Formats: sequence, C-alpha cells, structure tokens
Amino acid sequence: MAAVKNAPQWVRDLKPASPTGPELLEQERKSSNVNVDQLANFLFTKEAREKKRKILKLLQDDKVFDKSQNYFAGRIDRFETALARAKALQKLAVKHGLDDDEKKIAELLISEPGPYGLHEHMFLVTLRDQGSEEQREKFFKPAQAYKIIGCYAQTELGHGSNVRGLETTATWNSDDKTFTLHSPHLTASKWWIGSLGRTANHAVVMAQLVIDGKGYGPHPFVVQIRDLKTHQALEGVHVGDIGPKFGYNTMDNGYLLFNKVKIPHISMLARFSSVDAKTNKYVRPSSPSLVYGTLTWIRSTIVMQAGSVLARGVTIATRYCAVRRQFQDRDAPEWEKGENQVLNYTMVQIRLLPLLAATFALHFTGKGMQALYEANHKKMAQKTSDSNTTRGTGPEETQSSSDLLADLHATSCGLKSLASSVAAEGLEVCRRACGGHGYSSFGGIGAWYADYLPTATWEGDNYMLTQQVARYMLKSARSVLQGQEPSNDTTAVLSWYHKRQDQGAAFDILGKDEDIVSAFAWRSAYLTFEALKHREEQKRTWNSLLVDFYRLSKAHSQYMVVKNFHETIATNNNLDPETLSLLHKLFRLYALHTLETESAEFFTSAAATVRQIQLARSKAVMTLMEEIRPHAVRLVDSWDFPDWQLDSSLGRYDGKVYEDMFYRANDLNPLNRVDIDPYPDSATLFRKNESDGLKSKL
Amino acid sequence: MPDFTDRLKPAAPDGTTVLAQERGQSDVPVDELAKHLLSNDDFLGRQERMLRIVEKDPLFNKTKQFNLSRPDRFKLGLARGKKLRRYSDQYGWDAKDHEMAVYLCDDVTPYMVHYAMFITTVREQANDEQRAYWSPKIDAMEVIGCYAQTELGHGSNVRGLECQAFWDPKAKEFIIHSPTLTASKWWNGTMGRTANHAIVMAQLMLPKEGSPGEYTSRGPHTFVVQIRDMKTHKPLDGIAVGDIGPKYGYAPMDNGYMLFDRHRVPHSAMLSRYSRVDPNTSEYTKPANPAVVYGSLTYVRATIIMHARLIIARAVTIAVRYTCVRRQFQDRDSKDAKAPELCVLDYPTVQIRILPLLATAFALHYTGEAMQSLYWNTREEINQGNFGRLAVLHAQSSGLKSLCTELAANSIETCRRAMGGHGFGGPSGFIQLNNDYLSKPTVEGDNWMITQQTASFLIKRMQAAVDRKGKPQDEIEGHCRQYLDEKNGYKPSQLRVFDRDEDIVEAFRRRSRDQTYRAHVARNEQKQSWNSLLIQLRRVSHSESQSILVQNFYNALQQKDSAVSSTLHAHLRTLFRLFAFYTMDSEARDFSRAKAVSDDDLDKIPAKIQELMAQVRPHAVRLVDSWKIPDFLLDSALGRYDGKVYEDLFNRAHRLNPLNEITFNPYYKEEEIVKGSGENIDSILAKL
Repeated sequence: MAAVKNAPQWVRDLKPASPTGPELLEQERKSSNVNVDQLANFLFTKEAREKKRKILKLLQDDKVFDKSQNYFAGRIDRFETALARAKALQKLAVKHGLDDDEKKIAELLISEPGPYGLHEHMFLVTLRDQGSEEQREKFFKPAQAYKIIGCYAQTELGHGSNVRGLETTATWNSDDKTFTLHSPHLTASKWWIGSLGRTANHAVVMAQLVIDGKGYGPHPFVVQIRDLKTHQALEGVHVGDIGPKFGYNTMDNGYLLFNKVKIPHISMLARFSSVDAKTNKYVRPSSPSLVYGTLTWIRSTIVMQAGSVLARGVTIATRYCAVRRQFQDRDAPEWEKGENQVLNYTMVQIRLLPLLAATFALHFTGKGMQALYEANHKKMAQKTSDSNTTRGTGPEETQSSSDLLADLHATSCGLKSLASSVAAEGLEVCRRACGGHGYSSFGGIGAWYADYLPTATWEGDNYMLTQQVARYMLKSARSVLQGQEPSNDTTAVLSWYHKRQDQGAAFDILGKDEDIVSAFAWRSAYLTFEALKHREEQKRTWNSLLVDFYRLSKAHSQYMVVKNFHETIATNNNLDPETLSLLHKLFRLYALHTLETESAEFFTSAAATVRQIQLARSKAVMTLMEEIRPHAVRLVDSWDFPDWQLDSSLGRYDGKVYEDMFYRANDLNPLNRVDIDPYPDSATLFRKNESDGLKSKL
Repeated sequence: MPDFTDRLKPAAPDGTTVLAQERGQSDVPVDELAKHLLSNDDFLGRQERMLRIVEKDPLFNKTKQFNLSRPDRFKLGLARGKKLRRYSDQYGWDAKDHEMAVYLCDDVTPYMVHYAMFITTVREQANDEQRAYWSPKIDAMEVIGCYAQTELGHGSNVRGLECQAFWDPKAKEFIIHSPTLTASKWWNGTMGRTANHAIVMAQLMLPKEGSPGEYTSRGPHTFVVQIRDMKTHKPLDGIAVGDIGPKYGYAPMDNGYMLFDRHRVPHSAMLSRYSRVDPNTSEYTKPANPAVVYGSLTYVRATIIMHARLIIARAVTIAVRYTCVRRQFQDRDSKDAKAPELCVLDYPTVQIRILPLLATAFALHYTGEAMQSLYWNTREEINQGNFGRLAVLHAQSSGLKSLCTELAANSIETCRRAMGGHGFGGPSGFIQLNNDYLSKPTVEGDNWMITQQTASFLIKRMQAAVDRKGKPQDEIEGHCRQYLDEKNGYKPSQLRVFDRDEDIVEAFRRRSRDQTYRAHVARNEQKQSWNSLLIQLRRVSHSESQSILVQNFYNALQQKDSAVSSTLHAHLRTLFRLFAFYTMDSEARDFSRAKAVSDDDLDKIPAKIQELMAQVRPHAVRLVDSWKIPDFLLDSALGRYDGKVYEDLFNRAHRLNPLNEITFNPYYKEEEIVKGSGENIDSILAKL
C-alpha cells in the first residue's frame, strides 16, 4: 500500500481511531500459539510454498500484472489486459522454464481467468489423451508452441449436462472421405465455450457422428475456425463472444455455428473410436472408462480447490472481523468503554468458524481423493495393459462394485456438488459477515465469488449430478441385499448398517470422534435403504424421488468429508500436539455443526437422539467456538495467502484496513479525477473529458 | 450484417409455443389478480404511463451498459438522472411517477439519496423556519443533498460515530470535525461527486460550564452542511470529499467519503424540530423521545420491505418462464426412446426451489401492505406528539426488514442457479439484479445485528406479561399473557393445521411466543450473557416475522369485502398453504418443541408440500404473469413474456456485443493486442 498523495496535508495526517488494525491483529496473533509455519507446510508442503514465493516475485516485478485498476475497468479493457497478461505469462514460462504446476500457481496468484485458459486446461489435454499418434503430431505439437490456439466446444445454447442431446452434427461423406459439420438450429450453437469468443483459431467440437443416416452419438473433432494470419472466421464458420457475465469477464466465452463446413478425415480424434475410411464403418471405443477417470481427477481437484477458494473468503472475513469493532458488549462493565471486536459476537462466530472448519475439511477430502485415485489408477493401468482385449461397457452399468475406482468415480460427483456449493455459498456468507464494507470491490470477496460461481454448474450441474450418486448407492444396496461381499467403503458401510439396523445405533457423538463418523455413515446408509424401498417396493417414479436422491447424495458426501477429515488427523504425526488438538476441535465443530443443521435426518434415522442434537447445538458447538475463537487469525494465516493474491483492503495481513480503503478510494479511483456538473438543467455531465461521447457507447 | 445465422430457428418445441400451452392450461384470472396486487395508488396505470415514455428513449436502452467501465457507468447514471428530472418538469410528474420511472429503468441514479433521504430528513427534522428556507431550494434542485451518517469505522451503531460538532457560543457556530481517519464518512450515496450539501450526523459537543476546553457529548445530531461550491462544484476549504470506488453493484451511484477539518457552520445548520441548542444561553433541549432521529431510517425500512416482494416476483417470473421453455434429459421412467426431453419445471428438485418462492412473493405483499398502513398511522401519532407506538414500529420494521430482504436476496441467487449455465450470463436478467440488490442485507442496519432490536423488544413484552400489571400495554403483551396462561394449566388446544387455516396462524404464533419465552428465561432468569444469546435472539426475531407474514396473508384471505373471485381465492389459498408449510418444514424442530404442531403432522409436511406444488405447477406461468413485470424491466432473454429465449440470447451475443467488433491478436510472441493496431504493450501499461 502506497501512502495517500492526492489530499491536503491534514487528511494525510489522519490516523484510524485506536486500537488500530495492526495492534488488534498483533494481539490476536499473540493470544494463540498455533505454529503457522508448521501447519502451512502440512497443508501444502514446504517446497510448494517456496515455489509460490518465487513465482510471486516474478509476477510482482512485471507491471502488466499490476492489479490496482482491475476493479475499475470496463469489459473491453479488462479483456485486453487479460490477453496481455496471458501472453506475458507464457513468455515468462518459456523464459524461466516453468512447468505446468508452476504455471497453475501463477494463475492462482493472478486470480483472474485468462483467454488462454481453455487452450491450456482442455484443448491440450484432449489432444494429448484422445488423439492418435498422427493427430498428436499434427495438432498437439503446434498447439504446445501456441501456433494453434484452441478451445473445447461441447455445451450448446439449448443443451448442457445432457451430452446425448447435442444438436451439432458431423456427417461422414463416403465419396470424398470428409465430415460435414453442421448446426441445424439456432439452439445447436455452441455456447459458453471459454477462449472461443475472440482468442482461439482451432476448436475441439463435440458433434453427433452420422454415418449413412445412422447416429453414433457425440464425438470430438478438431476444427480450424479462424484464419492463422488475419484471425478472421473461416467461410461457413460463425463465431464470437457471448457478452458480459456475472463474473469471468476477462474470459471470452464464445458461440460457434457451422454452415455445412467440410473437414478432413483426420479431424476426428481417433484414439478410442474412429471411422474406417476404407470400409466407411464405425470403429467402437476400446475403453471409455479412462475418459471417466480424467473426470474423476478433475472433480477431486475441484473439491480440494473448494477448500482454498473458501479459505480466501474466510481469511478476509476473519481478519476484518478482528479489526472491526461495533457496539459495546451489553454486559460489559462501565469502565470498559471501547466497542467490541465483531469477531467476539457469537452471531458472527456461528457464521465464520464452521466455515473455517469446512476449509480444512474440504482440503483434506480433496487430498484423500487424489491419493486414492493415484494409488488405484496405477493398479488399473497395470491391469488394462495386461488384458487389453476385454472391453468395458458404459461407466454406470458396468464396473462391478469391487472396483475402488468406480466407487470413487460415483462418489466424486456428490463430493464435487457438495464442495462447490459449500464454497460458493460460504463466500457469500463471508461477504455479508463483513457488513457494509463487504459490498465494496476493495473487500475482495465479491469479484472472487462471481468468478467462482460457474463451478457450481459446470462439470455437471450440482443438482443433476446427485442422481448419479443415488443411482450408484441404490445399486450398491441391491448388491448388499443379494448377499455379495463388501468390496469398497460404500458397500462396507451399507452392509454394516444392514446387519446392525435391528440393534439400533447408540453412538456417543459428543464423546468420541469415531462415533461421529459412524453416525454420518449410519444416516447415509439409512437414507439409501429408504430410497431403495421407495423405488422398488412402492414403485415411486424416478422423477418424484429426485429430492430424496439429492438429500441422499448430500448425506453420503458429508459422511465422506467427515471421514476424510477424521482419518487425516487420526493418522498424523507431523504436527505438534497443541495444533493437532485444535484440528480435532475443528473436526468436531465441522461435524457437529453439520449434524445440527441436518438434525431431522439424524433423528429420523436414529443415528442420534433428540437430546444429543439439542446438546450439540446449545453446548458442544458453543463451547467449541469459544475454544477456537482465540486461534482464528493464526488458523487463517496458515492458509498462507499473499496480500497480492487477496487484493483486499479488509483482509490485509497487517490489518491496515482503513488506511488501505482510503488510499484506494482517494488515490486509485479514476472517478475522483473528473469534475461533474450535477444540475439537472445542464446537459454537461463531466466538465472534463466531454469528448468521449456517451451515446456511441450505448 | 446479414449472415447464414439469420435463417436459423430454435429446435422445436420453441419457447413461444411452450408458453402459449402453459397459459392455455390454467384458469388463473391474470388481470383480476394483477388488479388485486397492484392497484394500490394506481401502480399499474402509472407503470403503463411511465413505461411508454422511458421505453422509447435510447438513453434508457439497457443492452450494452454491462460493458462499460465504472466512470462511464457513473456518467450514464448521471445523464439518466438528469433526463428523468427533466421529464418530471416536462410532463408534470409527481414524486410517485418519478419513482416509478426510476424503478422501470432499473438503474440507481446519482440523485437517489437526494430524493429519498435528504428530502425526508429535512421534512421530518427541520423546524418550520428551516423548512421554509430549504424546501424551495431543494425542490428546484439548486441544493442537491446527501445523508452522511455511516463512517469508515462505524455503521449500525450510531452512538459510536466519531464525527463531532462542537458548539462555539462566542461565534454562535458549530465546528464540524473528524478526529481520526475512521471518522471519515463512508458509503454515503450521492456524496462522492454529485451533492453540494449534506445532512451530517455528528456527536453534538457542548462546552462544560466552568471547565474551559472541555465538552460534554449529547449524542448524535443532524446538521445541514454545504460541502461544495455552488459554481465550481469543488469541495469547500476544510472538507475532503470523493467517491469511494467500485462496489459489487450500484455502479452508477457515487457512494462517497468525507472528512472535516474544523469546518465552521452557522447555528441554523442544526436541524431543530426535536432538539436544539439555544444560541444565546447555549442551553440544550432534549428531544421528547431520542428514538425520533431514527424516524427516517424506519421509513426507509418500510419501503425496502415493499420493494422486496417485487424483487422476488421478478426473480420468479424469469425462473418460471425459462424453466418451462428449457428442456433437459428424458424422463427415466419413459418407455419411449424418442420422447422429448422433460421440461425443467417438471422436476421436483426445480419446483422445490422456485414454487415456494412464488408463494413468498405473495406473503410479502400482504405484509408490505399492512406495514405501510402501520407506518402512516404511526406517523400521524408522532406528529401529534405521541411516540408510544414508534417502539412497536421500529421493532417490527427491523425484524421484518431483516427477514424479507434476506428472503429476496436469496431468492435471486436461488432462481439464478436454477437456470443452469445461462443464469450466469449477462442476458439472464439476474446479474445486475443480484449485484444491486445484494447491498440490502447489509444496508440500513446489518441483517444479523438488527434482529436484536426485535428480540429485545419481544423479551421486554414477555417480562411485562410475566409481571402482569394491570391491563396489557399492547397486543403483543396480550399474546404473551395468553401463552403463559396456556403454559400454566389451561391445556393448549390440539391444532389441526391440515384442516383449519386459522390453526396454521395459531401454530406460528405459539411457536414465536415459545421462542420469546425461552429467550426470556435464558436472559432474565438464568442471566445468560447477551452475547451468548445472539444466535437465539435472531431466531426469536425471525419466528416473530414469519408469524407476522403468515398472519397477514391469512387476514387478507379472510376479507369478505375484497371481492376476489372464488377461482382466484382458491389459488391464493393454495399459495398461502404452500408458503406456510414450506416455512414450517424448514423450522420443524421449533414447532415440535413449542407443541404447536404434532410430530405426526410434521412428518407429513414434505408430502403435503409436494402435493401443493403439483397443484401450483400448471398455473405457474399465469401466476407470474399476474405480477405484470414488463419485459423492459426484466431485461432478460430467459424471462421474456413471449418465450423467445434462444433468439434473444443469440441476438444479444451476436449483434449487441461490442467485443465482437474487435479482432484480437492471440499469439504470445507478438505484443500487439488488437489486430492491426500496431500498438505494443505500452498502451496497456498506460491504463494500469
């Protein structure tokens, strides 16, 4: 933060009323002995943190990454700057030999979606994973050198999660061995596609493959869409940006239509399925499960990211609520004159501290999923290479419950849905907990929330996804009823419940951590068998059960989060006992607060008694909040966000909240550089800068 | 430029056909319902008249404003503010007409605080002489004013304000001063660039007799202060004032900051209807009831609540129309492989998010009406010098403001997300709505903080009922006594909420009293600390507000003279029950503990809600039509009356998007950003 310049001396001399933010945060940090460094290393590893510092330095030294005007500019300027930054970052990457991980760190620090985003995260990956040798040579290599810049065009104007409903067609022409790409309706227009609007010159297009009048479902095609010299759209291709959005305005999400465009045979990505140019026959996919494996991986990243996305809001809100004071404590003695720190209000604690606990819960769950994925993926890759001949069928019908990866795939849908909802809603809670200043752009939460929101609908809408979990849970329950041996966690839980359900539960949720996990497992299993009863005995329609399925998916995902959190801290020996015991408290706070919010289900399933739930609410949660409160600031410190990344007056590490708010308003704000004419009878608006006419912009 | 896309049509069935079918299957009398909801003060007639004028003025065209930078958005806002005011003069609009025009244009103008807070405060708190001086200047807009209360370090707690007004008996002047940076006025609308005057809320500091240099604080008072030169519009000496920068929404408003360096104002600057300092003796006259300063705040809250119903109606209008047009996945139970995809509103997971909100819009409507009449009744009493009911009004208005704005703000997000991906796009009609409306839960008293006022009031009434002295002081104390009677002996009647609507009302009341009673016991008998009770107090406040919402909805249905047709009455009753049961379900434990609803009945409620939703579903489109939200206000491709969702989405992206007029250079080895411009990185750096 630079010092205030554009103001008279008496303004520059002013200080905030005491106690000041720096004093309060210092006091906060003194009152806790959490070893911030150790905890941060535990969360991220020491190496990753050092890398982050190194890259931060690179970015801060380059003026193009300066953030101070981000909150002021219009859409076009923001996009131009974002493109300049994307180019600059790629240059830096080449110059310093940054690998993919390091580039991702840089993107997190820059914190705005960039126009190369889909080229890097979807286009390259798709070419690499789904292209044949020949295609990799032809497309992947020039794409790596950014000669080809691409995007991934799946979603259409009228079709999202349901890939089978896509309207764009790719019809095989047996006479000249080409495909014709065509958009038969307006609703067939590709829509929302990142990096497509203004940036990409190629696209991977998902289209319905048609051979000889017969449909074979959606397949990916690599298509050039713009001229490599002029960057104008090719003949028969209609492409553009879809306009401003709630967030993500530095990205050119685009639309794309084809008017009977012919593309060569090599355009169809042929690693898994293809059209034989000689026989004009369709060649079936060999192993679609590998594709679904990538989705599982992406979802585990979303879960882990959700923890840090939310942590950013919680960091800002916690620090600010420690600096902000409001009202005297009603019960405070006469002599204690000052206003109370907002963070001391239980009403603020109940909003922030369970979210603080959730940040750790989600982070550990994401980590746990990734570990499980990596371990089993290796095993499976081994197996596939051993027995290449047997082909799997569709992902939902096929994999037997013995497959741990199938378990992870199904349950990852629910976890993605839960985690991104918790993070998105949590950010808004954090913003509102900051009171009026949370509404200012300088608060740093609003824009971050807006950019994060689409995560709740992409990679499958959060509500729609829960059906997949339910379908899988029902299938697993059926296998348990048929007496099959449990082969993964889900079936183990279901069969444990099935055996014990007549004896009842009687968990000591207030006394034992393991029993909390059991109570969550119990509720999930109960809801599964209830849903199965509705579907099979009472023959209820699928549609009428969707709300039940949603609840079931949520319950099972919450069980997995609680379980992962518990396992992480139960098996840990890298932390000192005090920090570890604090993590145990956070675990209990997360679990009991969730239990209390969902109390009806715990009660009906008999996983907990009414009395236990009452005590959880009135005693346990309140006590835990009191115990965690003194450590709140150090706990958010351990998330290790540099100020440069937060870009927030309210969340500054040093607590100079008010000085920074004032500096940004007074010195960085271009509106204060224009004089206006306020009187309605005068047509003059800005007394300076009148030249740029307004009408032309409308 | 014509191209092949002009010939493309959406896949069948198109939106227009779908909505026509929806409208054809329902018997909801749209015009009758619209009249029932919106005829008060000729709302509908006024809406039509104003719409005709603003809709054809290109200055109010909304389609490209999302693309503008903050300074340009402000400039546009100022141009619009001026234009509306000139229309007022031209067509002889009254204040209500002007308000309607602003509402339809759906963009806050930089004059907003002048019209809303500045005029009201002068009207309510100036003495006759002051009023005679200021009113003509304000009406002519020579004086353009703002209202400077909130400070950088202080919001809801007015007593904590740092800005000071020292009385100088010799010069007969006040000295306005900001002792610290946190004393800076902050957030005050219209102040950043527009206003030349401000109502400044400052601690009145009177010299201590016999101790020179020492002062006694008399608490916050209001002063009218000129802040900018009437000619040059530059800040006066000793005043630093400016705009605080961009926000989550409200881009065209110049929320400001302001600091004073021992700035002198005349004795007449202090608004003196209720309290004054005698210029000759320096004697201070206390206001009859100190709460009176909050009069304008209470007025603003009443308006906010009335506005909230229209916000929900608007969100639900878009949501219902689009989820009818939008199709996704086939029904899993369907045997026909070629069957069309299901209409999204037929999914119970979508219904449960949207239809209870539709009912909520109605609930808020009836309470809004009741609140407004209560406000005007109370005002007359205040003018007659009777402040007794201000406490009731203030207490009720804060709890209701908290609940209603939270319901409305959440309704926008809930509906927006129910739209799937398109909800995130600019043309959804939710973006600016969300950005602008989300200030409400924290503005004019943070939603969590102000629930204390309602709860504290209720606990006092319960204490009075326990003490039982003489006749009950008000209706609320009466209810509290009844609750205590039932608790102590008289067995409360078993309520039958599925059979009798009045029992629903009683159940909500009993549950609210039960919440109050428990808080009373915790605070007054067990002496628990106020801070440890805050979460419980919020529940007390929300329980009471929900009870008021249900009560007013019920009362409206009972009015025999309202001449609502029996068809309409049946629909309204379904909505009443949907709202009540949905609310009851989400708070089920409270009702069980209060013995207001039996556990058996509570178990049946989810099925009851699905049944009621199924009854509402075929009428959803006509029900939202009845709110008569014009397309011009919705500004939504998804919520268009004619259902041309996809045509409009494409039109806005393709033809109304300035980014598509620029060709960019995407290759990272070349610094040029705009193709053919030849400019290097310096042109970008110059902007940073």
